Amino acid sequence: MGKPHSIVLQNVNKEYRRDEFVIPVLSDLDLVVDEGEYLALMGPSGSGKTTLLNLIAGLDRATSGAVIVHGQDLGTMSEGQVTRWRADNVGFIFQLYNLIPVLTAFENVELPLLLTHLSKKHRRENVMTALRAVGLDGREDHYPRQLSGGQEQRVAIARAVVTDPYLLVADEPTGDLDRKSAEEILSLLQQLNTEFGKTIVMVTHDPQAAQRASRILHLDKGKLVRDEQQISFPVGVAS
Amino acid sequence: MKFLHYIIRNALRSPVRSLLTIGSTTMCLALMMMLLSFLSVNDSVATSLRTYNRLIVMSSQGFTQPVPYARVGEIASMKGVKGTSTFSWFGGKYNEEPMPFAQFGVSADKIFTLYDEFNVPPDQVKAFAEDKTGCAIGRKLAEERKLKVGDSVPLKGDAYPLDLTLTIRAIYDGPATRDLRMCFFHWDYLNEELKKVAPNSKMLDNAGVVIVKCESADQMATLTKGIDNQYVNSDTPTRTQSEEAFNRLFTEMFGDLRGMIQNIGLAVVFSLIFVAGNAMAMALRERTTEVAVLKAMGFGRGLVINLIITEAILVTLVGGILGAIGSKFFFDLVDLSKYTAGFLPFFFVPWSTALLGVGASLLIGFLSGIFPAIRAAQLSVVNGLRKVV
Repeated sequence: MGKPHSIVLQNVNKEYRRDEFVIPVLSDLDLVVDEGEYLALMGPSGSGKTTLLNLIAGLDRATSGAVIVHGQDLGTMSEGQVTRWRADNVGFIFQLYNLIPVLTAFENVELPLLLTHLSKKHRRENVMTALRAVGLDGREDHYPRQLSGGQEQRVAIARAVVTDPYLLVADEPTGDLDRKSAEEILSLLQQLNTEFGKTIVMVTHDPQAAQRASRILHLDKGKLVRDEQQISFPVGVAS
Repeated sequence: MKFLHYIIRNALRSPVRSLLTIGSTTMCLALMMMLLSFLSVNDSVATSLRTYNRLIVMSSQGFTQPVPYARVGEIASMKGVKGTSTFSWFGGKYNEEPMPFAQFGVSADKIFTLYDEFNVPPDQVKAFAEDKTGCAIGRKLAEERKLKVGDSVPLKGDAYPLDLTLTIRAIYDGPATRDLRMCFFHWDYLNEELKKVAPNSKMLDNAGVVIVKCESADQMATLTKGIDNQYVNSDTPTRTQSEEAFNRLFTEMFGDLRGMIQNIGLAVVFSLIFVAGNAMAMALRERTTEVAVLKAMGFGRGLVINLIITEAILVTLVGGILGAIGSKFFFDLVDLSKYTAGFLPFFFVPWSTALLGVGASLLIGFLSGIFPAIRAAQLSVVNGLRKVV
């Protein structure tokens, strides 16, 4: 018996309207992602990678078709329900980290936990666990400006995982990093996938980064053009 | 409360901008406190005068027009009148100061019977009444100018074409709501000196206004009507009113001062809403991506609105507390009334006015934050993130 489906896209279309123009971005997309899969989305600029990521993360709505994540049909949920669903189920990692500059590493990681009913003590425990997991314990009082790019992205990853979400979405997580830092971040993501079983969807232009994923989807002009299953590497081997 | 540190950090994110917003709120609310307190002080002075059963008789054409001196005696003989006095404003300069303090030519032997709320040692009352060039000054005036009984008070005529040199014979004290910076001198002395230098002056034998002390409050209405009826067909008809009404009239001579001050207050509030709203809108424009990130993480619209409005309120509240409560304490220490030449006997910012100022700052914060907050809450996460992603 196979793994349960984590993400199911059925006949998904997405188009944007700009004045009188209708711009199709995704066309008739069908996709099934199993639980615990590490998916890399590749393709040229304008191919619809980030749009697909946004649909899966519940940040945007499909024009037609169904987007079902963790058993929830996102298209049937209200704005407020999707927002709550994201808080519970999705962790975000951005290319430019998007940490809040006036908050320390600890406070940045704590932000998503402020939406929960956890006590201050439990929040502290969870934040420290997340920071330890990304190798940043001892740097919790540092502000983003006091950290390197790689360290900032680690804080962002800690922030993404601190609520123990079902799904991690990463949009070009290594796009702004040097090779060494990028490798560290990719190893960390791989570790989250293999050790903690997180389903990860990552948009990347970098073939080396994509090689860390268990599956690579190639998009072009809003259509799925290639679906590659990868051999799973143990953590660190690929690097 | 768990979001408070985030709100505070955001408010302090651009210290110069926040300080400028706080500064403008502080200054504007301090100004508003002064204006509103002027009204409330004026009201409390007027209200406090109710208990003294005094009437003011002035010319029906206004208090700047003369009232013949003969009226003082005539009215004194009316039933229900305890006493009368002239009350003629001199308006002289003291040491070349154009508006030093209020000076009035009065019936020296009666004035402290009429103003029985003033405390004066009996020997000083007697000495003042017996010395035609003598004067009685208020305690605050004596303290501020370091004047004492026996000192000379030279007054240079401005409205009158003559100078007076007075000698302090009495220093009066009294309730805080009364003007303790006045200078009373003999009306007779003024009139005699005026006769010498300007025998044809229309100011001769002019009582100014007549102060009437009634025997009881019950007689005030009857006397008010009776006095005016008596002179209605004379060359110099009168207009009689309570001291409280006269006091309010004095303020109203500036036009609709109350309405003007209230409108200025509203204008201040609206200006501050624009200033603080602009600062808040700028702050949020710079944080578009951050707001999108928060929303992506699961911060709902309501929470985003709350965070932004609270931040806006925090900034204006600091300004409000500094401006409103600060000016309350400032004017408790610095007595503004000494610069008003007797127009205000005292000045302070009442707690009710200060709290109104704090309330106004809350309202300003709310209104300045609401529109940027709604805009941020409506921001599409995808569009917000697109700025950098």
